[in-house]
Amino acid sequence: MADDFWMKTNNLRRYYRRGQYEVKALDGVNLELRRGDFLGIVGASGSGKSTLLNLMAGLDTPTSGTVELEGRQLSTMSRQELARYRGHKVGIIFQSFNLISHYSALQNVETALYFNDTSRRERKEMALMVLEKLGLADRMTHRPADLSGGEQQRVAIARAIVKNPEILFADEPTGNLDNENTLQITKLLAELNQGGLTIVMVTHNLEMAREYAHSVVRMHYGRVVEGGERG
Amino acid sequence: MTFRDLVAVSLGNLMRMKLRTFLTVSGVLIAIAAFVSMLSFGAGNQAYISKQFDELGLFNTMQVYPKAKNDSVAADGKALDNSAIERLSRLPGVNLAYPYDAFSVSAQMGDSTISAKAQALPTGAIKTKLFSQLQSGTPFSGDSTRQAMLTESFLKKIGVTDSDSIIGKTIIISMKISTIDSGFGYVLKGLREQGADLIEKIEFDSLLHANYRNRLIRSEANSVAKQFMNGFLNARETISDTLKVCGILQQKRMGRIKIESIIVPAKTALRFSTTGISGDPTQLFEAMNSGTLFAEPGDTDGRNFPEVTLDLDPRVPYKQIKDSVEAFGFKAFSFAEQFDEIRKMFIYFDMALAMIGLIALTTASLGIVNTMVMSILERKREIGVLKSLGADDNDIRFLFLVESGVIGSIGAVAGIFLGWLISRAASGVAQYYMTRQGLPTAELFALPPWLILIALAIGIVVSVLAGLYPATRAAHVDPVEALRGE
Ligand SMILES: Nc1ncnc2c1ncn2[C@@H]1O[C@H](COP(=O)(O)OP(=O)(O)OP(=O)(O)O)[C@@H](O)[C@H]1O
Ligand SMILES: [Mg+2]
Repeated sequence: MADDFWMKTNNLRRYYRRGQYEVKALDGVNLELRRGDFLGIVGASGSGKSTLLNLMAGLDTPTSGTVELEGRQLSTMSRQELARYRGHKVGIIFQSFNLISHYSALQNVETALYFNDTSRRERKEMALMVLEKLGLADRMTHRPADLSGGEQQRVAIARAIVKNPEILFADEPTGNLDNENTLQITKLLAELNQGGLTIVMVTHNLEMAREYAHSVVRMHYGRVVEGGERG
Repeated sequence: MTFRDLVAVSLGNLMRMKLRTFLTVSGVLIAIAAFVSMLSFGAGNQAYISKQFDELGLFNTMQVYPKAKNDSVAADGKALDNSAIERLSRLPGVNLAYPYDAFSVSAQMGDSTISAKAQALPTGAIKTKLFSQLQSGTPFSGDSTRQAMLTESFLKKIGVTDSDSIIGKTIIISMKISTIDSGFGYVLKGLREQGADLIEKIEFDSLLHANYRNRLIRSEANSVAKQFMNGFLNARETISDTLKVCGILQQKRMGRIKIESIIVPAKTALRFSTTGISGDPTQLFEAMNSGTLFAEPGDTDGRNFPEVTLDLDPRVPYKQIKDSVEAFGFKAFSFAEQFDEIRKMFIYFDMALAMIGLIALTTASLGIVNTMVMSILERKREIGVLKSLGADDNDIRFLFLVESGVIGSIGAVAGIFLGWLISRAASGVAQYYMTRQGLPTAELFALPPWLILIALAIGIVVSVLAGLYPATRAAHVDPVEALRGE
């Protein structure tokens, strides 16, 4: 039964110790994802949403508990295997974009293809295509600093999806977009999800999460307090 | 990430940080330039000496001397006479053995007459590299031709600058010699004149007394010897020869090989070298010593030579020949051996020069470490992004190693070029001073391929080593921490 799930977290904890204080950023999270799921995560600031994404993306290691991918615990993987997992299967949209400031929009997107065995020529083609799809055809050569917040966000999205990942972790992907753009991006994500992409999306926009996600969970002080209901 | 991608990314980063890259590269550049120009001086000197040796055929030349120093007759009786030369020339690996056979003459050419030293040489020796560096003309054609070769220094002495103009001119070499005959001639003459007086003077009775007899004989023997020397030194006979100048030898620095200003074919020179002794008293004593005082004209059998030159077969190791020569009871001097010694010395010389370059390179590598550490601090977020996109520790490590390697490569290539420029400039200055001092110019700097390769390798290896620590630090950057928004 449990083996049906593609990705699973078991009693996942991530504590930070700062001097005498201990921050329980995640305090026992159990989540289950099937291939092709679209999971929405809502919750107050500081409730541990970003921490959860980092753990599932294999960027961070839990204090205790496990993240399982196709039945295998990420903690049993070598650093190199984790890198391969990120390079080939995972797309991440960071809350704060994290674009490389001295690269053009195009180079930022291309960089995502350095690590999944894409040939040089294909790299450029794929990056151009995604940027065009996101309405950035005339912003290819711009540096992040020369782009608006919304444009930067779209470059970050382009970078996350250009490699056709198996799972997309999106940390407030529409946080800087106007309504029209928000709708467009959300529709794009839904479309990709229809194409088989598994998505875990953190958002403040509960309505939208309800509309597009298959399920929505709410987090509170490092725990999932509500949800799992399928929409 | 492919190597090509890594290099592209590294180059991009270096281009972005132009000033910093320039400064870091400059450190490497200066160090490599110092390294190259200094070793180029060592290599150039070595090449120069080697070329000199090679041009003169010194690698195939061995000098043989009698064992006791400054004495033609060895302590254990081994003399460099004709039979010894004969035996030396039959040694395996010896192509030719010829003696140093010189005599003082006065040479007359046109209006000028100067005293000079002449040397007899067999035609075989003329064909060795040592004597075939001709400024103009040709070597003489046989052992008994009436030809002579002159050296440039001889031309200088008689004030001739155009060596071609001398070819075909006649030179008269002459020698005042004293013969044993002239010495005895005086003795006899004196005896004839004094004979009658002497007979009258002698008190025949007293001859019975031993004392008187001894005194008489002593005084008579003294006066005979006096007359002999008098005749020997004053009643000299002049012998001379008119020769045609056939070639002018280039003036080279030969080290211990003596080449006299007039070179005469061996058989032509026989008259000069054996019929008598010139006015030079040292020659008289030399002749007494070597037993040639009473030699017949043209007879060289009894003569001893101060040195013999061997021309060697390059395929036979010099050590073997030297051992055989020493086994005969002579001293041998091998130029090839001397060159090996020189080369050993050059290794230390080069190492000392290289050390200076390497110290500069150490300083430069600290510059690289500093630059790379700075770069990592600035690019922490970039490292985090690359890791989130799938870069593993090795990718990041390589990225920074390639970056420092590129700094090293650019610095090394530019440094080699700068080093070359410096050596050219220094060489120009050296040439200028050599010409001003009237010395033959010599190229004292060289940039052989091995030096270029070593400089390149050292530049790259040192900079990659310098990048090792920063690169490892970069590889261990925690992506979560690096990516958290400020
Ligand atoms: N490196 C860290 N050291 C100490 N505490 C940390 C660290 N990273 C996160 N935290 C704490 O863990 C908690 C969860 O942080 P997290 O970034 O996951 O929140 P979030 O739900 O993503 O919030 P937001 O909606 O504001 O992005 C916060 O209280 C935060 O202060
Ligand atoms: Mg967050």
